[in-house]
Amino acid sequence: MENSKYDVIVGLEIHIQTKTNSKMFCTCPTGYFQKEPNTHVCPVCLGLPGALPVPNKRALELCILMGLATNCDIAPEIHFDRKHYFYPDLPKGYQISQYKKPICSNGHVELSNSTVEIERIHQEEDVAKSTHHIETDTNKEYSLIDYNKSGVPLIEIVTKPCIRSGEQAKEYATRIRQIARYLNISDADMEKGQMRCEPNISVQKKGMWEQKGEEIVPIGKYKLNAKIEIKNIGSITAVEKSINYEVNRLIEALETNKEIIQQTRGWNANKNMTEFQRSKETSDDYRYMAEPDIPIIETSKENIEEISSEIVELPHERINRYMNKHMLSEYDANVLSTDRDVAIFYDNLFIGLDKHLKDTPTSAKLASNCITGTLFAWLNEKDISISKANLDIADLVQWNLALHSKEITKNKAEELLKESLNNNKNLSDLLDNFRKQSEKSAGNLTDIVKDVISQNEKAVKDFKDGNNASVGFLIGQVMQKTQGSADPNEARSILMKELE
Amino acid sequence: MKINTTFLKHIAKLSRIKLSKKELEKFTPQMKTILESVDVLQEVDTTGIKPMKKRLPFSQLREDIAKESLTQEKVLTNANHTEMGLVKVYGKIFDGIEKS
Ligand SMILES: [Zn+2]
Repeated sequence: MENSKYDVIVGLEIHIQTKTNSKMFCTCPTGYFQKEPNTHVCPVCLGLPGALPVPNKRALELCILMGLATNCDIAPEIHFDRKHYFYPDLPKGYQISQYKKPICSNGHVELSNSTVEIERIHQEEDVAKSTHHIETDTNKEYSLIDYNKSGVPLIEIVTKPCIRSGEQAKEYATRIRQIARYLNISDADMEKGQMRCEPNISVQKKGMWEQKGEEIVPIGKYKLNAKIEIKNIGSITAVEKSINYEVNRLIEALETNKEIIQQTRGWNANKNMTEFQRSKETSDDYRYMAEPDIPIIETSKENIEEISSEIVELPHERINRYMNKHMLSEYDANVLSTDRDVAIFYDNLFIGLDKHLKDTPTSAKLASNCITGTLFAWLNEKDISISKANLDIADLVQWNLALHSKEITKNKAEELLKESLNNNKNLSDLLDNFRKQSEKSAGNLTDIVKDVISQNEKAVKDFKDGNNASVGFLIGQVMQKTQGSADPNEARSILMKELE
Repeated sequence: MKINTTFLKHIAKLSRIKLSKKELEKFTPQMKTILESVDVLQEVDTTGIKPMKKRLPFSQLREDIAKESLTQEKVLTNANHTEMGLVKVYGKIFDGIEKS
């Protein structure tokens, strides 16, 4: 999206529902997905007069955890404020949020070749779910409201206006989602509304503006072009697509001298375009005030240290380790790091193998091949996750070692692994059986070869007449009799000797 | 902040209340009196005095344990209209106020 005349200026607000058992300010359960409406509701989240909010410790820990993972400063005191607006999905008439003093501020996230600065991350509560309808007989407009979602913990992550393209916004949103999932802060499923992205976009003439902290200011007499907000983005891909669409639309408007007014637009995923929703001539008037029902919460250094112990190696750190220390390809490193459970599984298998082999790249390659090959194919086919599959690391270590020492052929090894997975059989038992079989057949491989020769006169005659293909058939017969335990190369050499 | 009928109209709009001309004339001076009383309080010199708000150590926050909620029947008791377990409200809700 390079343009010689204009710069693209994007800021991104991401809302994430954090993963707690109970709601932000009451003990109602949070899991509302596909639940009977209005069954996870109490006087607090229904906003009944006199009901008092009691903050959830875990929710605040998760907000701080997100801040620590994105290099934010964590405030020593937590203050809540009331943000007022009237809407049926907000029964109190205000949302408990944070205004001037967010819990986390001044963070940043490193991307593949850029840095995105985070202005703030603050804690708030989700609103109820409302749907809008028109009564057929009376033509009256009405809304239906389910308060199960009201009061679910929500964090808002706000970047500075430092994003310069749809592509960069997409990479950033993907990284935020990955961090949230890695640290078990949220499942961050955009389709389920657990993560929502709202970009604001403007296009300015090159050299006519500068960024001062969180503000874009004009240089000289230049008049800044208005900012556009996009809502209803249902996927990470739509983050990029909607920004690109909007940038093109804005540049076209500027080039044809059309006026741009400050407005909110909605992304229409079916039409792949943004649509006008409403203009924003006046700034929002939420009449913030300090929330009098919640005390100031004091966060000590020890509290923050305890929370920071939950920080695990983040995906991009892991990818670097796999590439630089394990000498895996960028592709393999990415595939293994995407899902934290897969990465942990790989790490364990690698450690098990390296104990025996004491050779990092070899152990890494074996573990990586094992997971991304047969295991992934099988997991995909059965549609189960690696953590739910009944896999034993010690058994897989033995299996890989047998494969590495060429004690077993690749085909036979995969056959055993598939048999173990499909029939829930112990892999080490299958390996033991295989070993017994091969010991038995090793001694009498010559006898088996002799049997095969005497039982397949036609193939033997074909070979002697110069048809080399029949050797393959004869070896196949030998392999079948040894149930695959013989080394095909050894079988071939014995066979050739016997046929001479 | 200048307290006049325009200001009161704005506040009423944000609160989704419709005020007649007569009501505006009646309430504007009342609102003025209330806010002027607050101004008197603000004249008190509070430099060096800590806010009297209660403070709570992080460790004493509520543990994240979910408990039973109200029944759907109870939740809907005060709703004027309901439909399939949902609260039903009439009215045009998209004009004017920006939804968060
Ligand atoms: Zn509740």
